[in-house]
Parts: sequence; structure tokens; C-alpha cells
Amino acid sequence: MGGAALGEPAALLEAVDRDGFVRQSWRIERFPVSIGRALDNAVVLSDSHVAAHHATIDVVPGSDTAPATIVVAARETRNGVVVRGRERVAGGAAKELADDGRDVELQVGRVQLRLRLPNHALAAEQAMSALADTDHRWLPTLGVAAAVLLFVLATTWIETDPEPFVRSAGMAVLTTIAGAAVWCGLWALLSKTFTRQSHFGWHVRVFVVASLVLLVLSVVPALAAFAFSWPWLTDYSFVAIYATAAAAIYFHLLAVEPGRRKLMQAVAVTGFVVGVALSLWFNVQRTGRPGEELYMNHLFPPQLRVARPTSVDRFVAGLAPMQAILDKKAKEQSGSDSEGAGDDDE
Amino acid sequence: MRPRIRRWEALTALALVASSPAFAQPRPAAAPPPEVAASAAAAPSAPVSLSARKVYEQARSQLVQIRTVLKGRASQTSVGSGFFVSAQGHILTNFHVVSEAALKPEQHDLVYVTADGREAPLVILQLDVLHDLALLRAGDAAPSGAGRRFDALAFRSATEPLAQGERIYSLGNPLDVGFAVTQGTYNGLVKRSFYPQIFFGGALSAGMSGGPALDEEGHVVGVNVARRIDGEQVSFLVPAEFASALLARGKDAAPIVGSAYPIVDEQLLKHQTLLTDRFIQQGWKEATHPRYRVPVPPDVFMRCWGTSTVSNNGGLDFERSDCVMDTRIFVGEFTTGTISLRHESYDGTKLGALRFAQRYAASFRNESFVRLSSQHQTKPRCEEDYIERDGLPLRAVVCMRAYKKLPQLYDVAVLVATLDQSRNGVQGRFDAQGVSFANAQRLAQHYLEAYRWVAPH
Repeated sequence: MGGAALGEPAALLEAVDRDGFVRQSWRIERFPVSIGRALDNAVVLSDSHVAAHHATIDVVPGSDTAPATIVVAARETRNGVVVRGRERVAGGAAKELADDGRDVELQVGRVQLRLRLPNHALAAEQAMSALADTDHRWLPTLGVAAAVLLFVLATTWIETDPEPFVRSAGMAVLTTIAGAAVWCGLWALLSKTFTRQSHFGWHVRVFVVASLVLLVLSVVPALAAFAFSWPWLTDYSFVAIYATAAAAIYFHLLAVEPGRRKLMQAVAVTGFVVGVALSLWFNVQRTGRPGEELYMNHLFPPQLRVARPTSVDRFVAGLAPMQAILDKKAKEQSGSDSEGAGDDDE
Repeated sequence: MRPRIRRWEALTALALVASSPAFAQPRPAAAPPPEVAASAAAAPSAPVSLSARKVYEQARSQLVQIRTVLKGRASQTSVGSGFFVSAQGHILTNFHVVSEAALKPEQHDLVYVTADGREAPLVILQLDVLHDLALLRAGDAAPSGAGRRFDALAFRSATEPLAQGERIYSLGNPLDVGFAVTQGTYNGLVKRSFYPQIFFGGALSAGMSGGPALDEEGHVVGVNVARRIDGEQVSFLVPAEFASALLARGKDAAPIVGSAYPIVDEQLLKHQTLLTDRFIQQGWKEATHPRYRVPVPPDVFMRCWGTSTVSNNGGLDFERSDCVMDTRIFVGEFTTGTISLRHESYDGTKLGALRFAQRYAASFRNESFVRLSSQHQTKPRCEEDYIERDGLPLRAVVCMRAYKKLPQLYDVAVLVATLDQSRNGVQGRFDAQGVSFANAQRLAQHYLEAYRWVAPH
């Protein structure tokens, strides 16, 4: 005990929320320190899962050759104490930890405690994350949002006949803005729940960037498929759309659980893989092919065509390989028909 | 974008497939198009004359009802009519009357019932799917012909053609109500039919299929086969020459054992050869579009209908033409063996290039290649590319499906969009059902090669 200089506490005990925020902290001037619900404890935790006298923490100073020892003793408790998230110390038992210079996390009832000792190393100051940063930088977001709105207006203009255009344009802009507000609002609510900050700016940014990418994806693959006669491009362009959606979800989630980047990555990647696999499977069931489109059905102004046309003779001769494929399918399916009395109608 | 025009309803084959009672709505899944019962029963018919009575009395003992019965159960799945054509017990009827029994013999039995209530089994000797005829033999007749003798109807001689307006009598058992005779007139052959059919100006009802149509002397001139449900007294007969030919060809044949699909397949292969040759040979109409030669067939065995749609919001204007054949071959649970063409000519001058392209693409996308369920056909496969016809660029898509129970037969669809103008274009579609792969290729080539500019550009 005598090692503590004046004004410097022997230790700091903190109650930490799951997002890392310190809810409450206690300056510990001397050890052992008792923890429990009863008022005669040094640290009083009013949690119904905490015993009256739940635990004591003691620090036995070390020598020059040996480090200090932290002793966590559970007292008359049913729930015990969980040390460093791994080891549960049952009521009446004690756990001795050699002080390795790291803070010690303890779970007492539903309260997450952290014990900091003066000799523990401090992590370097972290820069403010991009997350918090975007909450104050609206200009780029607004720029992208304007691009999205322009895109939506252009699409609406193309899709509606000249007369009803003004009304449709108004509707399209309103629906886009309302949809964006609801979407970002819900994400902000989630962020607020888990991180105490809504990160609305971040969510809006993620939304507008993802929307722009999705809008571009709705045109560019179709245009390239038309220009170069690449039917496979639109056949599988849904993969890029799913990837964009998964990335958008990942960045939204990042503002909900900033500390679990890896987990959120895993969630997004899993969602993407499962989504793509399900779509491929569904397409095979529906059309017998993994792709989305039976034939390339995107037509643009003829000047945008780059691919060279072939002759009728060559095109018709190129149909020949279909025969073997169709015959094989007709045979295998009619074969299975006669075996099972099954009705395989879709 | 594509309005479904239906100027007229399809022909309706005349087997009665309703379960009891006869006037109830027919079972929807049953084989021949089932929109028959009630309206047909109410159709007026001319008062029966004295000669009709004479004709019926003469033919009464040669007339039978043909029932398809579920094996092991007493219930009938469809009924039609038929008539004796030989003393050895040969009976003629329509293929569509016996199709369930012919195609799924493991599930169905055939029996005939005479006007005086005698019932006996039937065997199938020969089929003529293309003319919708079947030759049967009474199961109680001895195969050698040495057994009992049957009263038979005689065919009218081919050297004495009927004149339009001559009175003829159609016999059968309409709607399973009882044997009946209806009187009508001979109106010559049906125009633009692929196979000859007699236009009978009289009322036919479901259940009369396969019954004979007789002249005033009681000779067979045709076999009841179908009627138009959108008209009154517009009915059809298979000319007697095909029935007598089938009798001559099949009277000594052994009964068909097992499913008749291979026989149907063989006859459809013949049909598609004839159809493809005649279709290609007839060429195309000229002057179908001011800028392009768009393929439209001459009115030989097809009929074309057109519509014109002008947008009332300053949008896309288009004209549409649909060409179809009346003839289609009934194959049990579906029909096949027909060709149809369609094109739409789009005018987007009020819209501009981008808006036109969007609508043009939407119409190109709005195509279905699924006609029959996966029980009958494979899923479609397509091939596509840009092609050029004397400088005219086109996007072409060919999609095909194979029939599962009819080997070597396919449905082919060809989709074409012209791509030489940014605010105008023509999209066409050609469909042929039940053709061989080689003929599908020939027809696709024939159709694609028809596109070109009217004047060189």
C-alpha cells in the first residue's frame, strides 16, 4: 500500500457499459475493497444479481523480482465472479492473478467492472474515427445525395410518358427522400441504442453512396451487355448488387457495433454468400440455369452497339449444340417422370 | 405493352369430359378444351324433318357411344360417339375421343354402348392423329370376322361431291343425354385450313365427337369433330375420305398395345415435315411496313389480325399484327403442330431516343417461352446474337424446348428486334410447335432472312 504517492489513487474501479463507456468509477484508496449490494461495502452495486457481500479484491504488493498479486475472492454469492471473461470464481473461492500490467475485467452480477492499477500501461490515444468525423462533414454526403436524386429524376423521366412526367417526378423525389429518411432513421435508432450516438450523418452517407452504386449497377452492366453482346453480364449482375448491399449493411453495422469490426465483416460476408447461393439455386429451380435472364433483354439506342453482327447462316448453324442439351434434359426428366408417379408441375 | 387480342375463341373438340351431371361445368383439367356444356345444350336446331327420322332409324343400330372408363372404377372420364363401318365390327371415331385410353392404357379402358343398351369393350387398331380419327374394333367381334356380323354404315362415294347447301345429318350422343340427330347444311370445305375439313352449318355438342354425318341416303360424308364456341352452328367434320382411308389401312391391323405416344410422335414428325415445307414454300407478303420487309405469311393456311394503338400521353404508338393457324394437332393433354407469327411496329418520335429505347427494351423483355407444363416439355434454352441482313442490324434470340414424351420434336421461338433507328423499330416473334430440330433451324433461318430494308440505305 505504501507505494501510492499522495493524490494518486491506489487503483481505479470502473463500471463499464458494453460499448466501452464508463458508467461509474470508484477511486480505491486502499485494499482490500469489498463489493456488494449492502451499504457497508466500499463499492455498492444495486443490481439484484449481486449478493449483499459479493466479493473482495485485494492487491498484494510484489517485490523487485515478483509482480504484485491480485486476489479476487467471491463471498456468499450464488453467481460468483467471472474473471477476465473466462474463469468463474464460485462463492467462497478465491482466484489469485499475477499482475501482468493489464487491466482486470470482472463481472459481478450484471455489472462489468474494470480494475486499473497505477502501474498499468496506457494505450496510445486513438484518433477520432471516421464515424464520428462524418457527423460533422455534410458537404460530400450532400453532393452524393444530389447525384442520387438526379439519377432518380433521370430514370423517372425515361420511364414516364411526357404528359404525366411532372407528377411522377414529384412522387419519385418524395418517395426517395422519405425512404432514405426512414432507412437512415432506423439505423440511427439502432446506433443510439448501442452506442449512445445516432451517427445519423454516417448512416446517410452510407445510404447515399450505396444508392448511387446500385443505381449505376442498374445501368452499366445492361449497357455493356448491349454494347458488346455479353449476355452473361446481366445474367449475373445480381452478384454485384448483392455485394453492394452487403457492403452497405456492413458500414451501417459498423456504426452500431464499432468495437466488433470482424464480427460485422463476417455477418456481411455470410449474408452475401448465402444470398448469392440462394439466388443461384432458385434460378436453377426456376429455369434450369444459374443465371437470371433467359436472354439479354436490354436494348439501348443503336449507336451504342459495339459488337459486330454475324450472318444469319452462322447464327442458325450455331443453334446446333442446343439439340444435345435439350435431348438430354427431355430424357432425364421424362425418365424420372415414369418412375415416380410424381406430379412435377411448377 | 402487348394487348392480348382474341378475336375468336379456339375450336372446341367435342368429346364430353365433364363428370356427372352433364350440364355441370366440365372438369377444368380434362383433355379437350372444356368450355362446352351449357351453351351448347341451349343452341337452337332446326326442326327434325321426315328425312331426318328416316336417316336416324336407318343408322340407329350402327351408332355407338364410346366411353373411356377408369380402370378398376366404374366411372367414365370422357364420352364421345362412333359408328360401325364394317360387318366385322370396325368402329370409327375421333382420336380425341379415345386419346386417354390410347396414351395412358394402363389407367383407362374403352367400351362402347349401342342405342339399345348393349355394352362391350373396344380395342384400338389404328390412329390418324393429324385428321383426328381412330379406328377401333368391337371386343365382342371375332378377329377373323367369322363371328357375329354387325350392321355398318357405308361411305358416300368420292365421285359424288356434295353441293353447298345440301342437307346433311349429324348423329351422336350429345352431352351423354341420349342418341340424337341434328340437321344442318354442307357448306364446302373450311377456308385456310391446313388439312381439309367440312364446314357443317349445324349444331354440334360435346359428346357428339366421332359420330357420323350422313347425307339424305344415309351415307357417311364426314365425322363430327369440332365447333366454334364463339359462333352459332359453325361446326366441323372430318371428310369421309380420310375415314375410309383409315379403315382400308387399318382394318386388319393388330390392336395397339401399350401407349400410343410412339405412333403419335411418328405422325407428328410427318406433319411437321409437310408444315415446314408448305410454310417455307409459300414465301412472304410484300409491303408489310414502309421501311422494312417484315415477315408476314400469305393467307393460305394462316390468318392475320392487326391492331393499332396510339398513346394518349404523348408516349409510344404501335401497330401490331398477329398471324395464326386454325389447325392444331390434338395430342391428349395439349395441342401442337402449329405456326404463329407476330410483329409490332413502334413509333417513338414523340419520345426521343432514350425513352424510346426503354420502352422498346421493355417490350423485348415481355416475352414468355413457357407454353406447356414441365411434365410435357423441358425448360427453354436460348441462343442470341446480333445479325445483319444486307446492312440492317437485328438482335435475334432463338429459344427452344423439347417435348418429353415426343422424342425429336421441339417448340422453337424466334425473337427479333430491328436496331437501325433510335426512335423507331419493329419487333417480331415467330413460333413453331412440334417441329424437328433441323426444321426448327430451317424455319428460324427462313424467318430471319425475311427481314430487310425495303429500299437500300
